[in-house]
Amino acid sequence: MASASSSSKNEAKPAEAKQPEQAPVTEQKTAAALEEDDEFEDFPVDDWPAEETEAANGSEGTQHLWEESWDDDDTSDDFSAQLKEELKKVEASKKR
Amino acid sequence: MSLLITFLTTLKNFVKLQDGNGLRSWLLIESNVSESYYQLSRELKSGFQNSSAIEKLVDKCLPEEDDVPEGMGSPYPGFNTFIREYLEYWRDVDFNDVVNIHARVSGLLISCANALAHPTYGIMLLQTSMSLSESLSKLVMQLNREPRLLAQIQGGSYGVESGERKSIVELAADIIQKIFTACLTDRSSTRDSVPKGKKVAVYLFANLTLKLLFACDKSRLAVQMFTNLSSSGPLLSLYPASQRVTFLYYLGRFNFDHCHYLRAHWSFEEAYRQCPPRFMKHRRQILTYWIPSSLLMGRFPSQTLLQRPEARGFADIFIPICAAVRTGNFVAFQNAMAQNKDWLWAKGLYLTLLQRLKPLVWRSFTRKTFLLTSQQDDASGQFSSNNRAPALALQDLVTTASYVQRLLEGYLPARPAPRARPAPHINTIFLKAVTNSAAAEGAESNSTLAPPPGGPRQLMPSEGLIFANQKPTIDKVEGIVAGLVYAGLLNGFIARQQRKFAIEGAKKQGGNAVRAGWPNPYGSIMERFREDYEESMSLYETDDGDPPGDFDDVPGWVRHV
Repeated sequence: MASASSSSKNEAKPAEAKQPEQAPVTEQKTAAALEEDDEFEDFPVDDWPAEETEAANGSEGTQHLWEESWDDDDTSDDFSAQLKEELKKVEASKKR
Repeated sequence: MSLLITFLTTLKNFVKLQDGNGLRSWLLIESNVSESYYQLSRELKSGFQNSSAIEKLVDKCLPEEDDVPEGMGSPYPGFNTFIREYLEYWRDVDFNDVVNIHARVSGLLISCANALAHPTYGIMLLQTSMSLSESLSKLVMQLNREPRLLAQIQGGSYGVESGERKSIVELAADIIQKIFTACLTDRSSTRDSVPKGKKVAVYLFANLTLKLLFACDKSRLAVQMFTNLSSSGPLLSLYPASQRVTFLYYLGRFNFDHCHYLRAHWSFEEAYRQCPPRFMKHRRQILTYWIPSSLLMGRFPSQTLLQRPEARGFADIFIPICAAVRTGNFVAFQNAMAQNKDWLWAKGLYLTLLQRLKPLVWRSFTRKTFLLTSQQDDASGQFSSNNRAPALALQDLVTTASYVQRLLEGYLPARPAPRARPAPHINTIFLKAVTNSAAAEGAESNSTLAPPPGGPRQLMPSEGLIFANQKPTIDKVEGIVAGLVYAGLLNGFIARQQRKFAIEGAKKQGGNAVRAGWPNPYGSIMERFREDYEESMSLYETDDGDPPGDFDDVPGWVRHV
């Protein structure tokens, strides 16, 4: 990549030109609105060492973040009780 | 010396030194620049209305050198064309006319991309290409939110090519992707060596394109880019972490939008793992889509995850949804979705979760019905007490499903008619009549529920258990169970004569028919993906189609070359 140092030495540079990342006021408003919704912002730094991340813990690093066995064997809750009642009533009506 | 000549002389020095950062810091186009640019603009307006005069001056100040020392650069025709257009931009720009700016910035970026393509000196325009692409993206995102301005652009002849009209998003993405392709095809380094030349910017431009496409809801346009990366892209691991994480985030979003939840899950998982905790906002954004991807794969977020700072507030949204899926309670599921509809809708998650979590709710619901009906047969909880294979009677499922459909339609618990009082008030008589008729209907339909006063609610298609007010008949219920078996969520077969779902493999599970019939959902879903993959492998072996790659390949994600 080319170096930026040469530009500072040049006497004819238009005074205090701002960097292109700085958008005009109207565009900044749009960007702010986007940030609240969906925009994945640019990172303030380019790179970081792997030790700072969970990737450093190997492939099992994120296993504990998820529950894979979540079945519910409880049949004493309200919803189960209602279904049980309904099954009983329909069964009884068949026998009548 | 005029400002214009000073400006061009400075550019010449940057070119000579191949100073890409210098060029970028001078070739500005936005309105928040120093007064010198406006002075330059006035100078151009007063003395250079004729574009050929600009061209002559540019060629005079930026002559093409014949004998360029090693490591130095020279102007070339493509570069000079770009600079001429850049000066015309400052001569004609009107910052109050966004539509006009859009057309000019588009043109300028095309010209810059052409100049960038120069095999020897083009690379000095990499940084300028980046900043112009960012400016164009911002403009397009702004315009995309303003239908009046958008209509002005699209109402004109802009973008008409051989009868095909492209949106401004598509046009801008095309230009940026052209630069991306120039970087991708640069031969300074191979796919698996440290990136050099224009290759250093492959993922920067890919991410910029993706950001634009997602901001404008046009993610499908990214397909070609992912295909190109898969076939000739450099290893993602060779690029800085910020570019890797951003790319994987968008790759996950792309796969989520296109219903490939396993690929989405892999992409988000890696994006999250490589994103340090200090970037909480980024991790939160990743989790916003990783949690739904995992839910659709049959995995729930753990307490550990939901307690992390970046997951603040997510427990309120996802715990009720998970609880409803877990218990197979459709009413609770719809309530949980409705409770956070605005947030889920804004993130593009509402319809996906509403539709695609339903099979998991049905899985739990059929499981619950089996638990309840088999307990009626055998209170000990052992399902192998007789010699018959364990099975769920579809008629029982019709009973429980009909009950739930009635709840969704607003049915109320039917009660016996209250005893009449000696001097009934008119309202009491009315209420009694309603209750009696409700009770009578309830009794008639053999249900513990009775229709609400005013009749059942008319449901929207997605509000019903199957479809709006359709009743869950035995044929419909059989179809649903067959679908669950096909998806691998239920293990067994439909005994059509007996109208039963017969469970397989209970003996292998030590007589536990529930565990045999309703295997672990995440495991089953993964198993189904593996089966599909093996099928495509065997097809490849018999035919001469394209090899399917590895099981965990995600198109666009270059992990191996």
